[in-house]
Amino acid sequence: MNARRVQAIARKEYYHLIRDFRSLYLAFIIPMLLILLFGYALSLDVDHIPTAVVDHDRTPESRDIIRGLGASVYFDVVAHPPTTAALTDRLDRNQAVLGIVIPPGWSADLKAGRKSALQIVIDGSDPNTAGNTRAFITAFIAQANERRLLDFLNRQGREWIRPPVEGRIRVWFNEDLESRNFIVPGIIAVIIMIVGALLTSMVIAREYENGTMETLRALPVGAGEFFLGKATPYFFITLVDVLVAILMGQLLFGVVMKASFWLMILASAVYILVALSIGLLISVKTKSQLVANQLAVLVTYLPSLLLSDFVFPQQNMPVVLKAVSRLVPATYYIDILNGLYLRDLSFLQLWPSVLVLVVMAALLSSLNIRALKKEGL
Amino acid sequence: MPLDADAVVVTDLVKRFGRFTAVDRISFSVRTGEIFGFLGPNGAGKSTTIRMLCGIISPTSGAGRVAGFDLFTEPERIKQTIGYMSQKFSLYPDLTPFENIRFYLGIYNVPAEQWPERIEWIFSVTRLSAVRDRLTRELPPGWRQRLALGCALLHRPRLLFLDEPTSGVDPITRRHFWEFIRRLTSEGVTVFVTTHYMDEARHCGRVVMINAGRIVASGPPAEIVAHVLPDRPGADLGDAFVALMQREAS
Repeated sequence: MNARRVQAIARKEYYHLIRDFRSLYLAFIIPMLLILLFGYALSLDVDHIPTAVVDHDRTPESRDIIRGLGASVYFDVVAHPPTTAALTDRLDRNQAVLGIVIPPGWSADLKAGRKSALQIVIDGSDPNTAGNTRAFITAFIAQANERRLLDFLNRQGREWIRPPVEGRIRVWFNEDLESRNFIVPGIIAVIIMIVGALLTSMVIAREYENGTMETLRALPVGAGEFFLGKATPYFFITLVDVLVAILMGQLLFGVVMKASFWLMILASAVYILVALSIGLLISVKTKSQLVANQLAVLVTYLPSLLLSDFVFPQQNMPVVLKAVSRLVPATYYIDILNGLYLRDLSFLQLWPSVLVLVVMAALLSSLNIRALKKEGL
Repeated sequence: MPLDADAVVVTDLVKRFGRFTAVDRISFSVRTGEIFGFLGPNGAGKSTTIRMLCGIISPTSGAGRVAGFDLFTEPERIKQTIGYMSQKFSLYPDLTPFENIRFYLGIYNVPAEQWPERIEWIFSVTRLSAVRDRLTRELPPGWRQRLALGCALLHRPRLLFLDEPTSGVDPITRRHFWEFIRRLTSEGVTVFVTTHYMDEARHCGRVVMINAGRIVASGPPAEIVAHVLPDRPGADLGDAFVALMQREAS
């Protein structure tokens, strides 16, 4: 391994990069676009549920309950349809997810101590939203009941009867249950895979397509020197992307990393090496920029997005997919990032995931060097 | 040590690709300081042979030493020692001549303190100073060829391999090219050149002619012609080659 040769290849690769518009676009514009897209569009939070209320009762009590709904962050009362049919229409057109019908005589029943039912309809086409909506409206009604009970007891001059079991719930690590806090680290993992693997997937294939691979074979360049020289410029570019992503997460989405910045950089460096190795391996194996590009998307971007615990929780996956997801590098990187972003963990707690990434990087690098040796370097 | 006094010595060299024999038991030697021509039609095995000699591919069997290094066990030493220029211009089109030169200096591991002097020298012999910061792809083919040759000489090799160096280049550039090659040999550099232009053989001290992977004639061009066509005084190497082919076919 000779440093001057590695430097010569790295410098040449850098010139290719800065003179190729597509590479630059892929390296800098695409990542920023993805952060914006994922950060704003991919929210798993359920709040401001569009709600339509039909009030047949028209009493202070019914208006009170509508006001209560509107005051909650979970519900937005978007419409007051005059009839049940009009309400159905709102649900049909996807203008409301939650429909509430207050029947005539509702408050009269309430005051008389008779059973007084509210009709509640939830659009179940998105089970996640529907489930959350059901939980929120159930809690809302339970609260209303509790308040009425308290009023009643007060008027009777009786004391509040405490329920025997009280759950004192505390949410840890992501106190406000903001999905953004979870999404931003995931975006960083996906972006590094895209930029790292997609960019490098072209760089060896390009040597074949231009016929310069034949020249390189005749030159005293070792496989290790070639691999290292090729990877170096992309390593730094991808590292810049990590920093940009951290900064954008902080400025745009208010997601602040709690733990050590340097631990983050260390873990990112290893993960970048994994991504670059995958791209370079695809490049040397396919020898065609087009095929390499498509393959890179298939084997890196999609698994990172779908199997890494980022969008879909691994707990719910079938056994086979769960096993596959253990092979996806992003799984470990996201685990580390969540530890750093949300849990303020230290290296002592995160080292197993870091180690897995180190092993992956070492394995993929040696596969690369073997493939390059076979190609005559 | 008569063997290593020669720049290249090969005996019974064979290269097979699967069941196809590209080079079939060829033996020859190249003396230090000569221009040695390796002639033959396209597909005769010229490129396969030069690629074996440069350590790019490993021979199937036989024995050989290039610049004193073994073909089988020391291909990396060979690559570091020789200069090699191929028919396809071995340059990066999106880099400037200056950047290409710097790339080769690094790859050949030339010590950094010698870089300014080498860069100066190469620009003066290739006469490309005026375009040092233009992109290589914008240069005319003849200029690119000069640059490629310059890059192959950056580490001052004593043995130079040229694979079809003049194909696709205009006659004037070709003449300049051969003048330059002669100047190199006068400084003691050995040049091994493949070509399918029979007329270029007159620049060579000795040639080997191959066809279908086998050597059909070898020696100084004039001797080959005299030997093959003794009764035709005006004949050239091309005529001799055709005659040899006809004899072999009958």
